[in-house]
Amino acid sequence: MATTELLKPAPAPGAPKAPARSRSVPVGRIALYATLSVVSLLMVVPFAWMVLTSLKTPVEIASQDAGLLPEQWEFGNYVDALKAAPFATYARNSFIIAISHTVLNVLVASMAGYALARIRFRGSETLFYLFVAALMIPTYTKVLPEFLIVRFMPLAGGNDILGQGGSGWLDSWWALIIPGAVTPFAVFLFRQFYLDLPVELEEAARLDGLGEFRIYARIMSPQVKPAFITVALLTFESSWNNFLWPLLVTHTDSLRVIQVGLSVFKTENGTQWHFLMAGTTLATLPMVVLFLIGQRYFVQGFATAGLK
Amino acid sequence: MGATTVVKARPARPPSPPETSAPRRTGRVPTGPGRRRRRAGMLMVAPALLHASLWIGLPVVVSVALAFTKYDVLTAPEFVGLANFRDMLDDAVFRKSVVNTLLYTFFTVPFGMALGLLVALALHTGLKARGIFRTAVFLPQVTATVAIALVWLWIYNPGNGLLNMMLSFLGIDGPAWLSSTTWALPSVILVGIWQGIGMKMLIYLAALQSLPRELYEAASVDGASRVRQFFSITLPLLKPATFFVLITSMISAFQSFDQIYILTDGGPANSTTMMTYEIYKSAFREFRVGYASAQSLVLFVLLMGFTLVNKRIMGGSRGHN
Repeated sequence: MATTELLKPAPAPGAPKAPARSRSVPVGRIALYATLSVVSLLMVVPFAWMVLTSLKTPVEIASQDAGLLPEQWEFGNYVDALKAAPFATYARNSFIIAISHTVLNVLVASMAGYALARIRFRGSETLFYLFVAALMIPTYTKVLPEFLIVRFMPLAGGNDILGQGGSGWLDSWWALIIPGAVTPFAVFLFRQFYLDLPVELEEAARLDGLGEFRIYARIMSPQVKPAFITVALLTFESSWNNFLWPLLVTHTDSLRVIQVGLSVFKTENGTQWHFLMAGTTLATLPMVVLFLIGQRYFVQGFATAGLK
Repeated sequence: MGATTVVKARPARPPSPPETSAPRRTGRVPTGPGRRRRRAGMLMVAPALLHASLWIGLPVVVSVALAFTKYDVLTAPEFVGLANFRDMLDDAVFRKSVVNTLLYTFFTVPFGMALGLLVALALHTGLKARGIFRTAVFLPQVTATVAIALVWLWIYNPGNGLLNMMLSFLGIDGPAWLSSTTWALPSVILVGIWQGIGMKMLIYLAALQSLPRELYEAASVDGASRVRQFFSITLPLLKPATFFVLITSMISAFQSFDQIYILTDGGPANSTTMMTYEIYKSAFREFRVGYASAQSLVLFVLLMGFTLVNKRIMGGSRGHN
C-alpha cells in the first residue's frame, strides 16, 4: 500500500534538502548527523535513565551527588521488585488481554472489512460510513456509558435481568476483554487492503465452487497478510498500553493489568524509585521488543492510523 | 499525500465486483448464489456491527441522554434540563480545565509538528543511519504513556531527578517542577511534545517520500534556492499531510489523561487539570455521572468544532479523517 515505502532507501537525489550535488556535502552531512544524534539522544535518554535507575541501590538514588551510572549494578532489584508487587501477575493479565484483543480484532474486523470491501448487500455502504463515523467518536464520550453498560450487564455478577442488584461485569475478564475487542479502525484498515485485490481471484474461486467464507479465509485473506500483521501489532500495542479502562473496571489485585499496577505501586510506594523503574522497564520491554521486530508494520500502521 | 491517500475514504467504488450471477435488477427476491453471497456478507459484518452498536452506538446515545440528568448510579437518573451546562459555566475548576486543555493542545501540537517536520526533513535526505534515528524518535510513541509519565516523574524529581541533576552541573538550582504552579503545566507540555514527535515525524516522512521529484529538478534548473523550494514547493504539497497531522494530534492532545493522572493528578491547585481529568473526577470520584456526561459532550463538541474550523482554514476536504 501507499505507506510501505517508508523503509526503502530514500530517493536521495531529488529530495528537497538532499545536498547530493552540493560542494558543502561533508559539512552539511556532519551537521545533519550531529543534529539527528542530539535529537535521538534526547528521545532515548529517559529510557536509559529508567534502566539505570532500576539498577541502583536505594541509598545511591537518595544520595545527592550520585553519578549517572550505578556504582554497583543491582540486578537483584528486578527479583525484589517482583516480590514487592506482583508485577508478574500484572504482566500476565496484560498479556492475556492483549492477546485476546488481538485475536478477536483480527478475526472479527477482517471479516467485516472483507464483506464491506467486496460484497454488496443492502445497506453495506451506509454501514461503512457508520464505521467511519464510529472512528471519530472520542474515547471520553464513550467511556462513561460503557462503564455503566458493564456495571448493569444483565444476568452477570449477581445482576438480575434488568441489570440490578449486583456488580455486573465489573472486576471480571469480560469487562477487560469484550468492550475493547473490536475497533472500527481495524475494520476500516482491513477494508482498504481487501479493496485492492483483483476480482479475478474471487471469481476463479467461485467457479471452483468455494463458499463465501472459504473465499474470504482461504483465497483473499492470505493475500493481505501485511494487513493482518499490522492490525495485530497495533491492537496488541494499544491493549498493552491501555490504562483508563482497566483502571475503571477492576479493583482486585489479581485482575490488575501492568499499567494500572505501576500507577498503584507508585502511590503505595512513592519513593521506591529503584523498584518502580524496574517495574516500568518490565512493562516497557515487551513493546520495545515487539516494535523492533515488527517495525515495518508498525510504521505502516501508524502512518495510516494517525491516531491511537 | 502519502499517508493520507490510504485513509481517504474512497468514494463509492465504480460498479465493483460485478455480482456474477443473479442480475440485481430482475426482482426483489433474488435467488441463487447472488443471494447467498449477500447473506454471507451480512453475516460477516454482523459480529463487528453488533459490537459497535453495543460499545459505541449505545454509549453515544446514553451519553447524550445522561447529559441532561442528575445521576449518581445508585438512584434513577432525574431529568434536569440544561442545569448541568449551567453548572459548568459556574464551575471555575472546569473553566480552568478548558483553558489548560487548550494551552496544552496549543503548545504540544504546533511545536510538535514543527519539530516532527524538521526531523522528517532531516531523515528524508537519505542518510545511511536513518533507520536508527527514526527508531529512536519513534520509540516513545509505542511505549505506554503511563510508563513514560513515570519515567518523567522521576526525571522531574526535585531532589535527585535527572533534570535538576543536569541543571546543578550548570550551577542552576532547578525548581520542584511538578509541584510548582508555574512550572507544572510547562513540564507536562514538554512530555507531550517529546512523546508526540515520533508520530508527526512519521506521517511527514511518508508524505515527503511521495512528493514528485520532477518539481524539484525543474525548480533547481530555474535556480530556486533550497529554502525557496521548501516554501514554494514542499510546504504547499505537504498541506494534506499537515492537515491530517494537525487534526489527529489535536484529537489526541484534547484527550490526554494518563500523563496527568500519573504526573500531577491535576495539581498543584488545579494548574494542570484537563477536561478529561475533570470528566474522570466528576464521574468516578464524585459520582456526578450526569454532570460528567455533559462535560464529555462539551469536549466532543469542542473537538468537532475545532476540526471543522481547521478544515475551513486549511481549505481541504482532503486528508479525510
